[in-house]
Amino acid sequence: MRGSNSLQESDRQIIGLLRQKGLDKRKGEESLFNEYAYFIREGMRKHRLSEEEAFDAYSDSVLVAIGSISNETFKAESSLKSYLYKIFHNKCVDLFRKNSTNKNSVNRAQSINDELFRLTDKSRSILQTLIEKADWKVLKERVAQIGDDCRKMLLLWADSYSDKEIAVVLEYKTANVVKTSRLRCLAKLRELYHAV
Amino acid sequence: MDSLEYIDAYYGGELSAEETSQFEKRIQEDPTFADEVAYYLGARVAFKEANVEERKIRFRELYRQGAGREEKRQEGLRRGGVRLGGVRRMHSRKWLPYAAAAAILAIVALSWLLFLRPADPSRLADRYIRQNLTQLPTKMGRTNQLQSGITLYNSGRLAEALRQFEDLLRSDSLNPAAMLDAGIVTLRMENYDKALDYFKELQNYTDPRVNPALFYEALTLMRRGHPGDSDHARQLMKRIVQGDLSKKEDARELLGKM
Repeated sequence: MRGSNSLQESDRQIIGLLRQKGLDKRKGEESLFNEYAYFIREGMRKHRLSEEEAFDAYSDSVLVAIGSISNETFKAESSLKSYLYKIFHNKCVDLFRKNSTNKNSVNRAQSINDELFRLTDKSRSILQTLIEKADWKVLKERVAQIGDDCRKMLLLWADSYSDKEIAVVLEYKTANVVKTSRLRCLAKLRELYHAV
Repeated sequence: MDSLEYIDAYYGGELSAEETSQFEKRIQEDPTFADEVAYYLGARVAFKEANVEERKIRFRELYRQGAGREEKRQEGLRRGGVRLGGVRRMHSRKWLPYAAAAAILAIVALSWLLFLRPADPSRLADRYIRQNLTQLPTKMGRTNQLQSGITLYNSGRLAEALRQFEDLLRSDSLNPAAMLDAGIVTLRMENYDKALDYFKELQNYTDPRVNPALFYEALTLMRRGHPGDSDHARQLMKRIVQGDLSKKEDARELLGKM
């Protein structure tokens, strides 16, 4: 079995950090980004992308890799470099063919599907229709206005941190305190969203 | 149990099998509850997107720092090259700075002509309205009459939409969503004075950080174009940007083009 044997020491370190929480994870994200940032130049040269497009393709690829390393779907069957390059190459090709004109809505639809996966088809279809009707522009504005404490907490919640982990990162006394505050923040956001 | 708490318990895997199937049944039978679940998931997706945006900002900063270091390194190499490689190469490329300066000048002039020349506020407002206000978003958890007004608006039946919003205001004169939508329809129908009345009235309700009425008042003034309107609109837009009020980003963008 090849597994993690194909990994270099630097890969192992980055993966180790990405599977932590809080500052360590952030350090892992930045190390991964820096390690292969020269792909951006390659994207410009080989795929004739602008610097901005190549940067976008690379940062999107890093985000995909971070997601699969954190949730352990990355099985380390190839080096981090090969894995990341494969994602990056596909994104560059898509960009070159102009296949990703509405990238935001594609990503959002994927995100919504991820949230709905555990429901039956009937419930999923009801919720999908309702979510797609949401006023995303307003919702995103409100997310920016909700206040620092709520924002930090809900960002971690959306990043799949448990209440216990949020309590450690944000120095709350207990997971229960986090849960109560988090639900209060969600209610506050709902109020802001429905206000004109 | 409060519904958000109940939904959170479902997604936290805290409910029993029976409670879980009850949860699904409620989604299918109770539209208000389904709305709450949709809001909960929508909020989660919105924060996920905010996470992605924050990471991208961090990556951009890292890339900028890295690119800066690389530039300095290349600069160092170039200087070294001149010292070792001799003067001839420099002479043969003496024209380069002049050509670059001329190209930059041409780009600046062209950009000014195409993008930076102050635009006519009325046209600018018209473009904004066409790009942003031809479809009104539907919101989770809104009343049926409001919803049907929005549906009429979105299918271009403006007068009928206005009637719905005005009917709603007659039964609930303090309904801010109906007032906003009535203002937007009258703006689209080019009845600017009436639109201004709605937007001014709306400013009396809710926090200006979430209430876009001031922005729409400014937009209507821009579009109306009476003497003094564009100066007044500019002042209002500045107030929105400086006060971090609702629609700050849109106001900043329009101000930049005026």
